[in-house]
Parts: sequence; structure tokens; C-alpha cells
Amino acid sequence: MALNHQHLEKIEKHAGLLGVLIAVMVSLGGLAEITPLFVKAHTVEPAPGIKPYGALRLAGKDIYVREGCYQCHSQMIRTLRFETQRYGAYSVANESVYDRPFQWGSKRTGPDLARIGGKYSDDWQRQHLLRPRSLMPDSNMPNYPWLELAKLDIADIQARMRTLRFLGDPYTDADIAAAPAQLQGKYEIDALIAYLQGLGVDNVPATTSDLPAVPGDKPGAPAPQPNDFESKRNLR
Amino acid sequence: MSSFWSGWVKFLIVLNLGITLLLFVWALRIRIPTQHDGTTGHVWAHGVLREAVRKLPTWWVLFSIGILIWGLSYLVLYPGFGEYQGTLGWTSQQELERDTLANGAKLEARFSPWRDLSIEQLATDRDATHAGDRLYQDNCAACHGATARGNSVVGAPNLVDDDWLYGGESATILASILEGRSGVMPGWEGVLGRDGVNEVAAYVVSLSGVIAPADWVAAGKSRFDTLCVACHGADARGNRAVGAPNLTDKSWLYGGDFASITQSIRHGRNGVMPPWRHRLTADQARLIAAWLYAKAPEEKTDAQ
Repeated sequence: MALNHQHLEKIEKHAGLLGVLIAVMVSLGGLAEITPLFVKAHTVEPAPGIKPYGALRLAGKDIYVREGCYQCHSQMIRTLRFETQRYGAYSVANESVYDRPFQWGSKRTGPDLARIGGKYSDDWQRQHLLRPRSLMPDSNMPNYPWLELAKLDIADIQARMRTLRFLGDPYTDADIAAAPAQLQGKYEIDALIAYLQGLGVDNVPATTSDLPAVPGDKPGAPAPQPNDFESKRNLR
Repeated sequence: MSSFWSGWVKFLIVLNLGITLLLFVWALRIRIPTQHDGTTGHVWAHGVLREAVRKLPTWWVLFSIGILIWGLSYLVLYPGFGEYQGTLGWTSQQELERDTLANGAKLEARFSPWRDLSIEQLATDRDATHAGDRLYQDNCAACHGATARGNSVVGAPNLVDDDWLYGGESATILASILEGRSGVMPGWEGVLGRDGVNEVAAYVVSLSGVIAPADWVAAGKSRFDTLCVACHGADARGNRAVGAPNLTDKSWLYGGDFASITQSIRHGRNGVMPPWRHRLTADQARLIAAWLYAKAPEEKTDAQ
């Protein structure tokens, strides 16, 4: 065999060479797993109904990032029954094409927020952001009282939208021109609520709305049940 | 996955496993020259530490072979080797589908006997109300509170008193849960002005027995009779068709102190209960309704 103990000795006695060889071996997994997806990410088409964030929701998303919400809340429902049962249909890549950076997260201190939109009223979201424990006595979410004190900064919203357009988000000139007016007089909390209330609303697969109307309360009548997998998946 | 990236992944896997295998075989076969004392001659700490040569322990060799076999078997059975899908054809979606169907069968067995019962009958079934309680805590307690006594900071009504905004019949409760409710009270500050708001508020608190200045109450009543009766009714007992609350009792959605009432009159209120039909099955909603029904006392006959 070509290799002999002298090669071993050479590697053993040269820390730099040893380091390089270790780096090569360790990077093989990353090269196989990350590079294809990294290149492919630019070809993912948005899911039906997914549009770039409107000005107010975009401002809200930036506040979400600024406040570090992603450190406690994920936006990624995994393909596990316990997740779909609790949070709704599992997340797919083409739902978050306009999230820059994506907010999938990797840690849940609070619940997943991928489909939180419409679950609670706007008033509830406001109260919950300002004083979570006034609604959930045992919540450990911090209060965010400054959100209702700070007006939105409308000076740079157009620049932010133009940057996103440069990156490929299909904003029109009219969208960008109308942006400051949509933020005028609004507070940070309004934007964050608009962002939260839009999460997962447009992209929940249509089957969830195909449920029968309220069944009333007729004893003996079979209660309507979603019996195909699609609606089960979406319903929990 | 394009064929290029598939090939890329395959190449890296072969490279990685190849190097690993090579090192493994080599490490077993290599002969390291030793000195007369059995060490390699490498010394550290001025000769205190000397490097000996030992054969690899058997457990380590077997363990490594095991890991290699495990890794190769995984790549045969499961997706991983480029676009190759694995002999098992496993996908996470199919596993989720299987799990969901299996759990659905269990739920079906549990729910099906309850479908023959009305909500009133379910309310007397301990098993059903226990399940309803759990579902309530998971879905409803965020607004209405763990004890279902409501929360005035968001105008979530108390669900276990005898006062119902939209009606306490089982079908109405079920409709409220599945379809949601939206109770809109407009703000009257522009119409009433500061004094008008105070006068109407004085009249409203007087309805539930609070002593208020007589001139304000009288002036407030005349304003109430023109502006507020449309929803709250001439007797101020509310209207369930639009969810207008009864103002003559002692239960308040947003607080019954003078400041809260003037706030409600001045700026209006927008009480929203979101629809839950996308998040709850009808079976689950019926159990929650049954639990509430079991907790709520019988309605008083004089309530409208």
C-alpha cells in the first residue's frame, strides 16, 4: 500500500496539515447538504397566494426581526403529527420565498407562529404584546411596551422595498410610491400586529375552507368529519 | 434535484465513505516500526512520556464496522444517495399521513359514541366534559381565561355566568365557536361631545343601581333613547341578534367603572371572536360547548 507510517507521522507532526485535512473531512457533509439547496433556493417559486409583504406588514416583519422574536418563536411546522395537530399544515419552502431573512427559527420557547394569523383578534395581539400576563397569567414572554410608543419610521420604507425588488421581489412602482402613506401615523405595534395577522393566512391550503357549514346540534346526525388526508393534514 | 447536484451528492458520499474506509483498513494493517523498548521513539516532556504501539481494541474495530454497515444500509433503505429514493420509499409526508390516519381512527372510536348525544346530554357525561375541558384550555383559555370567566382587557365575555351576548342555547354556542362573532360598537365622541359622553355614562351606570347625578342621568336618558336604543334596546337589556350587551346587569365586558364606560362610549369597542372552524372539528367544538354548558348555570328567565 502506498500509505505507510511516514505519512502518518507527517500528519501527526504538522498541526497545520492536520487542521486542513480535518477541515476537508468535516466540510464534506456540509458541501453535500448545503450547496445544492443554496443554489436551488434561488429557483423556488412562491406558493399560490404568496405575495410580497405590503408596506405595513414589511415594517412589522422588520420589527419582528429587530425584537428577536425568532429567538423564542419558530415559523416552521414540521411534518410530524404533533405539530400539524397543534399548528396546522406543515410548512413548505415556497411559503417563505419573500422572507428575507427567513424566520424559520430553531428554538421554541413560545409556540410556532407560522400560521398564527387570524387565530386571535387584533385587540388580543395588541394586549398580548404589551402585557402578555394580562391574558396568560403563566406566560414567560416579556412585555414590549415601547411598541405602542414609537411611530413607524417612514423615511426608509421605500428604500427597503427597492432593495427587496433588486433582490427579486416583484414590487411595482405603485406599491413603492404608496408605501409611506400606508405607514403614516401608525405605530410599531400596528405594523407588528399586521405582520402577525398575515402569517400563514394566504398560504393555508384551500381545503381548510371546504368544511361543511355549522352542523347545528341534531342528535344522531353524523357530525361532519374531514375524511380525506388533505383536510386532516390541514386540520390536525 | 437536478442530475448535476445528484451527482455532486453521490460524489461527495463516495469520497467521504471511501476515505473513511481507506483510513480504517490502513489503520488495521499499518506496521509502525518500534524500538527495543516497544515504543515508537516519540517522546514528550523530555522523555517522561513515550508513545507506545498497541493494536486497535476489538470492540473499537467491531463498532466501526457496525457504523459503516449502518451507514451503507441507511443509504440503501432511505433517501440520501443523490436522487436515489431508497428501497423503502419512505417520505416524511407519508409517515405523517400514516400517523394522522392512525390517530384519526383512535379519535373516531372516542368521538363516535358522543355524536348520538345532544350537547345538553354531553354536558352530563363526565368523560365528554373532561375532554371538552382539555380542548377549552388548549384553544379558548387564551382569551376567556382558564376558568372561563372572561377577560375585560380584550372584552372576552365570562362564559360561565347567566349572561349571554348571543344566546346560551347549545346551537348558538356551537355557532359562536365555529363561526366566531364580531361585536362592533361605534365611537360616539364626535356626536355626543365630552358632556354628552358623561351624561350617557351616568345614565348607564344608574341602570345597574349606581347612584349618579340626577341631572346627568336625565340628560343621558334622553340621549340614550335617540342614539343607543337601536342596538341596546329601549330597556337597555341589549339585543342578541347583534350581540349588544345588556346594560342593566352587573356583568361588564370591558369593565363597569365610570372611566371604562366613558371609554367605551367615546371610542367604541370592537370585540372579535375569531372563527374556529379551521382549527377545531365539529366534534371538538361540541365537546367544548358541552363543557361550557355544564359549567354555566341555567339562564334566568327574565333575561332577554
